[in-house]
Amino acid sequence: MTNVDIPADTEQRGAWPHRLAVLLVCATFPLIWVGGLVTTYDAGMAVPDWPSTYGYNLFLYPWQTWVSGPWDLFIEHGHRLLGATVGMLAIAAMVTIVWKDSRRWVKVLSVIALTAVCLQGVLGGQRVLWNNRQIAQLHGVFGPVCFCLFVSLAVVTSQWWRATGRTGDSLQIGNMSARGAVGATVLSGCALVQLILGSQLRHVMGGAGGAGFRVALLFHLVLAAVIFAQTVWLVAIHLAATSRDGVKSVALSLMFLVLLQVGLGLATWVLKYYWPAWAEGAWFARPFTIVNESMPQSLVVTGHVATGSLILAMSVKLALRSWRLCRPANINARPPLNVKGTTLTMGVAL
Amino acid sequence: MQRNINRFLWLLLPVLVATGCDAPEARFRMNMAYLHKNEKKAEAFTAEQKADVANILAALFGTPDQPHLPQGAGLEDVISIDRLKMAAGPVGVDEQGIATGLYRQHCSHCHGVSGDGNGPTAAYLNPYPRDYRMGIFKFKSTGKGTPPTHEDLLRILYEGVPGTAMPSFRLLPDIEREAIVDYVKYLAIRGQVERRLMEDIAIELGPGERLDQSGEYLVGEIVASAVAKWSAAEEEVTEVPARPDDWNESAAIARGRELFHGAVANCVKCHGETQLGDGQRTDYDEWSKDYEDFSKPMTDQEKQKLVDELVELGGLPPRNIFPRNLREGIYRGGRRPEELYRRITNGIDGTPMPAATMKPDDAPEQQQGLTAADVWCIVDYIRSLPYEPGGERATYGQEFKRERM
Ligand code: HEC
Ligand code: HEC
Repeated sequence: MTNVDIPADTEQRGAWPHRLAVLLVCATFPLIWVGGLVTTYDAGMAVPDWPSTYGYNLFLYPWQTWVSGPWDLFIEHGHRLLGATVGMLAIAAMVTIVWKDSRRWVKVLSVIALTAVCLQGVLGGQRVLWNNRQIAQLHGVFGPVCFCLFVSLAVVTSQWWRATGRTGDSLQIGNMSARGAVGATVLSGCALVQLILGSQLRHVMGGAGGAGFRVALLFHLVLAAVIFAQTVWLVAIHLAATSRDGVKSVALSLMFLVLLQVGLGLATWVLKYYWPAWAEGAWFARPFTIVNESMPQSLVVTGHVATGSLILAMSVKLALRSWRLCRPANINARPPLNVKGTTLTMGVAL
Repeated sequence: MQRNINRFLWLLLPVLVATGCDAPEARFRMNMAYLHKNEKKAEAFTAEQKADVANILAALFGTPDQPHLPQGAGLEDVISIDRLKMAAGPVGVDEQGIATGLYRQHCSHCHGVSGDGNGPTAAYLNPYPRDYRMGIFKFKSTGKGTPPTHEDLLRILYEGVPGTAMPSFRLLPDIEREAIVDYVKYLAIRGQVERRLMEDIAIELGPGERLDQSGEYLVGEIVASAVAKWSAAEEEVTEVPARPDDWNESAAIARGRELFHGAVANCVKCHGETQLGDGQRTDYDEWSKDYEDFSKPMTDQEKQKLVDELVELGGLPPRNIFPRNLREGIYRGGRRPEELYRRITNGIDGTPMPAATMKPDDAPEQQQGLTAADVWCIVDYIRSLPYEPGGERATYGQEFKRERM
């Protein structure tokens, strides 16, 4: 953290709210990974009861049995342990924020985040108790929503957020048009819908017939193109502008992640469904044998899921920061921003 | 807050439903394409006749969640009901912690719940996933027209089909693969019985006449005749004689090349002068031809109409089958020499790849056919192809022509 002199009585005291929020984000990311693995290996029902594990309290389940047990039990119980950890971190973060942060809306946000993560835990439990795949899917989609909330907490409690808001560097603020912020917000929405579509594709079951899969696949591909284009556009407008501390780098990371994600998506298809007919015979399309649930397959597929969440998180960060830069430091002192003829009063909600 | 979240969940719901996540109770789909084909032969089936087929099948074989086996047709010797139950049903674990629903977990998104080869992903795959309902399989140790053995199906699950979307399931425990194999047989036999019932309505019965509902006819005749072939498969395995002792590999390859291009084996006709599989590329496989022989001369409009009809009836648009590119060294049915030996002597069931005409070792030179030693020569030649220099499309073909002239 950079050393900025912060008067003790403003917005927030100490670095703990931010530290905990960041820790929360860091713990949630592997949680999503492992959750993805649970789906990849269809291990959701490896432990048939909940909230207990084979009758044991979650934390008292003999670790020897867990570690040396079958793989699906290992990841399902691991997912539960991690989930419980994230829940406790969320409580810690909420308490610290409510206690230390002076901004009412940040307190509210932290409570929302905690509620969400509790709900998510309950969804996961119901999925097991009812052995229900629809709930599993909802659980899979709601995970990234929680992740977004945690990322938001981390962003708004950060040093950057306070420094930007208070110093009110006129250059920075004046430069930032609402276009970028609106774009990043739309992008966040697209990234979330894309995750939902992706989970549709992963939960494809023979029973539902082909139509659902086809529709989901089509939209998944179209949306991938849209997200790609949006990201290129965002990077372009941020690179063109002069002083964009804190958004340029985020936009570039996002670009990197989107490119990676396209590659992982293609690899996922090839490792699960083989080369498409049009690629066969091309120099890169080496023939091979697909091995179900092999290490490369699982890593790539789960990596695709995890990168999806990262893109969502990164776009939320970009959106929040962009809105922050749009916002006049002191609403009373500055006229509302004028964007292309429309008068916008941004950031009132924040 | 709670309200907001609830609202969010409600907002999410239409999206989920719209993209079809609702998992209705799994049901077997009727073989509508074959039904319609039989209707074309005679008259349209009445509603009762159709219902009869569905009811008889349900009575004999149960449902995807509750499969059962008709007694008295010797089916117990081919399929174990315990293993069947492991593979059937929705994905989950039973009270003893044993995985169930293996077929729906691992196979149905490609092969379909009914084993019709038309699962959600099927349309995007080439070749299409296998439709088990004709009882025809490609890669097996038995001859054309004979079902695969238990070991053959286990081998497919273990090895997968290299070069296609069919994965290897070698990471599953043995008992799970065994269970799934039984389920595949179950779907195949069920599909064959379904076809037979439809044929009987079209051919044996008068218009509107109902099927005989007696066990004697249904189990004793129809099921039993399908099962008989499956239980006989083990005895039908093609013997692979050992290579002669004085085997000279380079001489064998040279002779194999000659045979490959010769009139008797005539492999070039399909696999091409270049062995790139660029010979005959206009034929279809049996699954594509099931509804209608699309290789017959017909106009584009006629073909389009038939394709639309077929798709409407739950089939997949037919695709041409291409002979294998033998220079890649990828053998879908396995690359061991014995496997290739059988591939040549037995052909590939369901595809244009023919079974070789065989003759005894001591047959006179001029008699049509290949001896076991000839087939071994072709095997060695084929296995040498991926390593042969100058495998380029243009150069190789020309060089070869010059050499032969
Ligand atoms: C990703 C899609 C996919 C999945 C999943 C899949 N298959 Fe297949 N399967 C195929 C394709 C494609 C073929 C056709 C290969 C060919 O024709 O060369 C095939 C062929 C087969 C065959 C026929 C082989 C032969 O000799 O004719 C069997 C049997 C089979 N699959 C069984 C299964 C079983 C059992 C499972 C589940 C454990 C399964 N498949 C899962 C795509 C799949
Ligand atoms: C009528 C056309 C035709 C003829 C004649 C023919 N083949 Fe084939 N062959 C095919 C087709 C089609 C396939 C691909 C089948 C499939 O897997 O779908 C094939 C596949 C093969 C394969 C690959 C098997 C595998 O496991 O992947 C080999 C090897 C082969 N043929 C060898 C031969 C040899 C040797 C001859 C001559 C004795 C021959 N073929 C004659 C059409 C033909």
